[in-house]
This record gives sequence, C-alpha cells and structure tokens, in this order.
Amino acid sequence: MGEIFRRIRYLINRRRFDAELESDMEFHREMATRAGRSNFGNTLRMREQAREAWGWTWLDRLIQDLRYAVRILARSPGFTLMAVLVLAIGIGVNVAAFTVFDVVALETLPVRDPGSLVRLERRSPNAYTDGAPYTSLLFYQKNAKTLSAVMGVLGVPPVQVDDDIQQASASFITPNYFTELGTPAALGRLFDPTRDGDPIASPSVVISYGFWQRRFGGDASVVGRIIHIDKKPATVVGVTPYAFASLGGQRPDIWMPIVQQPYFIEGSHTLTDPGDSAVRLWGRLAPGVPAMTAGQELRTLTDELRRQHPKDIWDKEYIQISPGGHMQVMQPEMYQVAAMVAVLTLLILVVACANLGGLMLARAVTREREIGIRVAIGANRGRIFRQLCTESLLLALLGAFAGLALGCAVIQIALTKMDTPKWVSAAPDWRVLLFTVAVMFVAAVFFGLMPALQIARQRQHKTIARQVLVGAQVAASCVLLIVACLLVRATQHALYTDPGFGYQQMLSIDPHLGRHGYAPAAAQAYFDQMQARLRATPGVLSVSLVKLPPLGHEVDRETTEIAGHKVLIYPNWVEPGFFQTMNIPILLGRTFYPREKNAVIVSQSFALQQWPHQNPIGQRLDRDDAKSIVVGVAGNAHINALSDDDATEQYWSAQPDDMPDMAVLARTAGPPDSLPPVAKSISESLDTKIFPEIRPIKLLYLDKVSGIEKAATAVSLIGMIAVLVSGIGIVGLVTFTVSQRLKEIAIRIALGAKRAQVLSAVLRQFSWPVVLGLVTGTGIAAAASKVLRIALYGINNLDPLSYAGAIFVLVAIIAIAALLPARRALRMDVAKTLHYD
Amino acid sequence: MVDTPKSGMPAGALPMLILRVLQYGSLHGYALAQRIHILSSEVLAVEEGLLYPTLQKMLVKGWVTAEWGISETNRKVRFYRLTPEGRKHLKAELSEYDRVTQAIQNILRTA
Repeated sequence: MGEIFRRIRYLINRRRFDAELESDMEFHREMATRAGRSNFGNTLRMREQAREAWGWTWLDRLIQDLRYAVRILARSPGFTLMAVLVLAIGIGVNVAAFTVFDVVALETLPVRDPGSLVRLERRSPNAYTDGAPYTSLLFYQKNAKTLSAVMGVLGVPPVQVDDDIQQASASFITPNYFTELGTPAALGRLFDPTRDGDPIASPSVVISYGFWQRRFGGDASVVGRIIHIDKKPATVVGVTPYAFASLGGQRPDIWMPIVQQPYFIEGSHTLTDPGDSAVRLWGRLAPGVPAMTAGQELRTLTDELRRQHPKDIWDKEYIQISPGGHMQVMQPEMYQVAAMVAVLTLLILVVACANLGGLMLARAVTREREIGIRVAIGANRGRIFRQLCTESLLLALLGAFAGLALGCAVIQIALTKMDTPKWVSAAPDWRVLLFTVAVMFVAAVFFGLMPALQIARQRQHKTIARQVLVGAQVAASCVLLIVACLLVRATQHALYTDPGFGYQQMLSIDPHLGRHGYAPAAAQAYFDQMQARLRATPGVLSVSLVKLPPLGHEVDRETTEIAGHKVLIYPNWVEPGFFQTMNIPILLGRTFYPREKNAVIVSQSFALQQWPHQNPIGQRLDRDDAKSIVVGVAGNAHINALSDDDATEQYWSAQPDDMPDMAVLARTAGPPDSLPPVAKSISESLDTKIFPEIRPIKLLYLDKVSGIEKAATAVSLIGMIAVLVSGIGIVGLVTFTVSQRLKEIAIRIALGAKRAQVLSAVLRQFSWPVVLGLVTGTGIAAAASKVLRIALYGINNLDPLSYAGAIFVLVAIIAIAALLPARRALRMDVAKTLHYD
Repeated sequence: MVDTPKSGMPAGALPMLILRVLQYGSLHGYALAQRIHILSSEVLAVEEGLLYPTLQKMLVKGWVTAEWGISETNRKVRFYRLTPEGRKHLKAELSEYDRVTQAIQNILRTA
C-alpha cells in the first residue's frame, strides 16, 4: 500500500524529484571527473531510465502521444471532421438503440424501492397465463410472509364515460397500488387501503393526468365531480401525477378500486370465481428476502390453493417471479427482438468503422514521410503502433461524444413524437455512458487496429487491407439493405394483398357476457336476438358468432410438432356461418352443422403439413381427449397472427357452454360506419348493463400494419445511412487510389491506352472485394432473416425481388461512388501531370 | 587512480549490496558506488546507469530515503539512508542469499 502512495507522490512532485535526480547524477559525474574517470554516457537517457523506476513512463508517453495526435488531427481538419461524422453516425445509432433498451428493460421505475418490486405469473411446465384469480391474490396477500405486499391490476375493455363518443381505457387496482409505489397525487388524493378497500364505500375513481387535461381541460374542480362510467355514477377523487410511473407500463385513463368492480361491471363473478384468471399480480419482496425464498414459499402456498380449488390450479403450478421495477417485464421473445435490433445497429458501426479504416490506410500513404522520419530517428514499431492507436482512440473519443449527442437528440425527438410515459428522459444515465465508452473502444479497435498494424510495419502500400475493409462494409451494407427491402415488401404485401379474410367491411361486437355473469342459456338468448336484429338491419350482409374475434384482445396459440418441426396452431371456436361472414373459402368438405360435436375444420396450411399427399377429410384429430374428424378444409386466414405466414388454424364448432364468451361478427355491404350505434341500441334494449365493445376490423388491421410499416421505415433509414456512409467511403478510397497512381495513368494515356481500359485497371483492385462483400452479405442476410419470417406477412425471407432490389441499389451506389472520382482523374491534363516534379 | 579491470554486477545483487553498505550510515550516490567498489577489492564496479535506476526503485519501495546534506566537496547533495523497512528487507535478502549459496556450494562439493 505504501508503495502505491509513494508512487503517486512521485507523480505529483515529479518536477522536484526529477531535479533532485538530476542533481544527484550531476554530482556523481563531477566526482568521477575529479577521480580522473571520463565516462560520459547519454545523461538524458540515463535519467529517463532511472525515472522508469517510478512507474509513470507510460503516462508520459501517453501524454506525448496525445499531444502529437491532437496536432496531427488539427492539421487535417477535413479528414478529422469526416471521420468524426462517420463515427458519430455509427456510434449514435447504437447509443440510441441501447438507450431504448435501457429505458425499457434496465432503468428502474422512479417509484419507492423499485428493486423489491416483482411480477408474479402463473406457470406450469405446459401452461402459462399472465393473470391470476382474484381469490388467489387474496390468499397470497393474506398468507405470504416473504412478500410485504401483493398488488393486482384487472384490465377491462374500454368504458363509456358519460356520453363521450370516444371510450376511455380503464383498470381496476388493489387499493395498495399507489401507496406501495409511493405515488403522490397531482390533485386530490389517490387510493389507499383504509378508504378504498371497502366494497360498499361510495364509488370513487382516479383519473390520469392526460385524461384530466384532455377531457376536463385541466380543470382543478374535477376533484369531487361525479362522472358516469358505463352509466354508473362515481366520484373523481384525484389525478395521478404528470410523470407517473406505473407497473408494467400500463397507463389507463381511469383507475378504479378493484373491490368495486362488481358495482361497475354488474353481474360479474370475477372477484369470486377461482377459475377466472384475470388479475395481473405484482408483489413487493419483504425486506432482505431473496426472490428464490419467496418463490419457494409461493410454491407451498400454491399447493395449498390446489387443495382448496383442485379444478382451477394446474398440476405442478408455480408462481414465476421476475423483476418488476422496470417499464417492461422482459420475456424471452423480447430479448430476441432486442438482439435482432442490436445486430442491425452493430452492422452500421461495422460499416462506419470499415469505412474509416480505409480512409486511415489511405492517409497513411501520405504520412509515409513523417513515419519514415520517426523510424529513422529511433522510434521502433511498437512506439509507432502505440502512437497510431492513441490517434485512433482520440478520434474514437471525439466520435463517441458526437455520437452520444446524436443518439440523445434522436431519442429526444422520438420522445416528443411518441406517447411514452413522461418520466422517461433522453438524458443518458450511467449505463448509457458506459455503453458509449465500450462502443468507443470497440470502434477504435475496428477502425484503428488493422491500419495501425499495417502502417507500423510500413506496409501501407499493400492493397489487401484496404480490400478487406471495402469488402466488410459492402457486406454489412448489403445485409442492412436486404433486411430493409424485405420489411418494405412485407408492408406493401400486407397493405395491398388479401389477408385471406374479408376485413374491409367487418365489425366485431363483443358484449363480454361472461364477465357479467351470463349463463350459457341467457347468452344464447342474447345472441339470438342480437343476430336476428342485426340481420334485419339494412346493409348487413352476414352475421355470425366467434369466440376469438379477429385481431382481438385474446389470442389462443398452441405448438405441435409435425414431422420434426414445430408448427404454431391458432385454434378458434365458431358458428357454422363464420366462414361465410369472414369470406374465408371452404376448399374441401363442408362447414359445421350447428353444435356439431367431434368435428374440426383445419386450414389448408395445416392440412398440407399434417397429411401431405392425402385427403384430409375424414382424418382423425384429437384435442383434449375428444376424438374429432376433419370435416372441412378452409383457406388460410391468419385472423389472429396477421404477420406470421407459418401459422395454421383449427376451427371447432362452438358448443352451448362457449356462448358466454362469444362475440358477434357482422359484414356490411358498404362501410360499416352506421352500424355501431345500431348495435349499441340493440344491446341496450336487450340488457342495459351490457356495453359491447364494437371494433371495426379494418382500423385494427391498418393499426397492426402500421407497426410493421414503422419498422420498415426505420430499418430502411438505417440501411440508407449505411449505404451512404459506405458510398462516401468508396468515393474517398477511389479518389485516393487514383491520385496515388496519377502518373501511371498519365503514362498509360500518353501511350495510347483507351480511357475505359485505364479505368478498369485502376478500379480492378476494388472489384473482387465488392463482389465478395455482396456474396457474403447476401449469405448472412439469407441465414439471419429466418427469424424475421414471423413478421413478414407471408413474404418469403428469401424473396428474390427484395434481394435483387437491395443488391441493385447497392451496386448502383458503389458504381457511382467509384466512377465519379475515377472519371475526373481521366480528364486530367496528361502533359502537365507528366511534367510535374 | 588507475582503473582496474571491472567486473559486471551479478543480476539483482546491487540492491542487497547498497542496503548492506548503508548499514554503516547514510551516503550519497557517488560514495555508495565507491564504497562498493573498494569493499569488493575493486572487483565490482557500479555504473551510473545502473546505480540510479536501482536507487529510484529502492526509494519507491521504501527501503531507503533520501535527504539533503553537504558533501565533502561542499556541495548540496542527497544522502541515502536505510529505513526500518529496508533493514528488514536486507535481513530477509541475506538469509535467502545464504541459503542459496549454501545450496550451490553443496552441489559444487558433491557433484
């Protein structure tokens, strides 16, 4: 320890100590001369050797190298500016992408003690759901010693506020929700367990800041006002803060106490039915309790619950505990998406670095004299190499600063454009800064190492390194462009082709009867009336019932294995008229008879995979012990997996017990705009407490497609940036190569060579790296785009048009980038060039 | 004074010799070199290029300290002095050296 302090003392007082050392050695020399010895070595060198014992030589050299690097960079401001710009793009894109990941998955919510918040989800080896019964919540709340609190959120379909045209989103929450998060009210008060845990307390709601501004114009007198939610009066007691951080990123307009759910949704059994897994659970670990211990206790409690409700708790069920104090509870498939984005943004960095590497190598030729002189006066390869690396690091540092600024600016713009929670800020936190530093070093190695090695070994004239760099950036640009083209094609395909079902004039009317406690017979009666009256409405072409409406809130998905590969099945329960209403063709066989048992209709895609070269009609298909026979084959229609062309469907005939969960589908002759009010009034005449959720399928469809459209735009933008950056790089390289060989070109022309021949001779060194880059890039894109299949709306991930388009654009840009500077060189004055020096 | 043929210093021996010589009292650099030269019956010569790096190393290690004094030629010069830590280190070095030379001699005698 003492040694480190002494070293630091030597660093701080180095001037004094150096003077002392000098005096010592001078004295030694004086005495030696007196004694008649004349041993004159290099005093400076000897003193330097002695100083090395202090252990700070590296710092001296670093400072020396840095000074030198600053001078070198300042002397060619054009190159420096260009390099920093290219790096800023490469690093900035990565910083922006990481910031998003940081905000979503790493940054903790600005709430009280976010570290101990956990998300609780029901899992078993072969089943999972994100909700749990309210009865289980109460049980865990009462018995779990390892959890200091259990919170629950019950999301509901949009509700009708007073007579608003637009419905409002709403959630029921346990009254400890706000107190556990430590949320202060912006106005009035928020819920607390002592006042809002009572079912017979006067109904109260809390509204969001946005809703308060939007609907009430920020009127402070809103507290105490009575509003009607689905016609039930309730008092507004408070407003959540502007920058409210909620669990799981849920931001409804209206918050209601969960114990009052039966009041707001009349007839609902959600709070008492142990089979209704509708409440999302969150917990807070008791102080000092690790998640593992809590998991063990919850497993024991779940076993106890199973004894009480053997029907409703799965075999081997356990509660999965994951960190809950973040905006998003990350699921494995989200990491997949994150990894994909990371690969794309890293490709940009590769392009930028390869580009810069090429420029540095080119510059090295012009610096040949300078480096030659340094070698001549005694610098060894290692010293030159170190000097060059310092230069690269300095460039990378400048690039990182610019990139960080660029990334933050992009995020800032995105934040103002998008509806993100207000607590999210674009200012980088320590993780983003650390990431930037890491990327900076990676970039410095990418673009600096190879040129530095080449230059230090004085091999800057070798073209191989330059060729490798050209190949690398062409390959990376190629991958980005192909992915961009695929996504653009997918968007167009989704927008302009038939998804396999009619969506244009379609309406889904979902009364959620089950949530209002309807029995099957009552539900049947409701639907009979509803359907009959809808059919009688002018303009309505077809009406039918379905359990999982297209693009609905609920999606059922199963995986099965056919001939060794996994197949995704989307089952649905429908009435016989479903196929006609949805415009889905029956390709083989027939549709169901009403209430038909043991019958199934499969999609063409499923039939082809399960029974290739066989007639699927009459084949056996089992589900949950029920043996069924295939009676029909329907056209492919991914009504709940729009973007995934690999999905398959199975339709089962709806049974009486399914009735409370069914929804109505109606197809109209023209735009279905006039139908919603009609459906509303029909429903009201049938049951005043039902407020059906009416959704035009076309809007949902366009909404879904706009997601992929945004992704396509973003990736196209990134791809174009990459291509432009590499284009600029190639212009620079060719300009340089041509200027280096100006004399040779002049001689060739003077001797009568055709310009085209000269051109090809000059550019030949770049042709095979470009070809190799294109081939490699295409190969990587073809292999990697498999994971994209699920988002491509039926476009093959090897879609030849996308590949051809991407390669064409890339080749065109490369050709322009290469030919422009080369052609200019050909127009030179031959005589003047030959007379030059 | 006529130069006698000098021998090089065995690697790593110089710090031990310096520590040993400084046991008698503090010395400046030149005197240190002279003392070692004389005590070795003019066999070992301590070059400037080796002495000062070694002294700096020993300063950093804390085995010796340097303080200003006046030389016999009336010049301000730094005298090197043994620290308790240096004394401890010398003891350890010496016993280790004894052990190794004993071992070497054993081999030379028997082999």
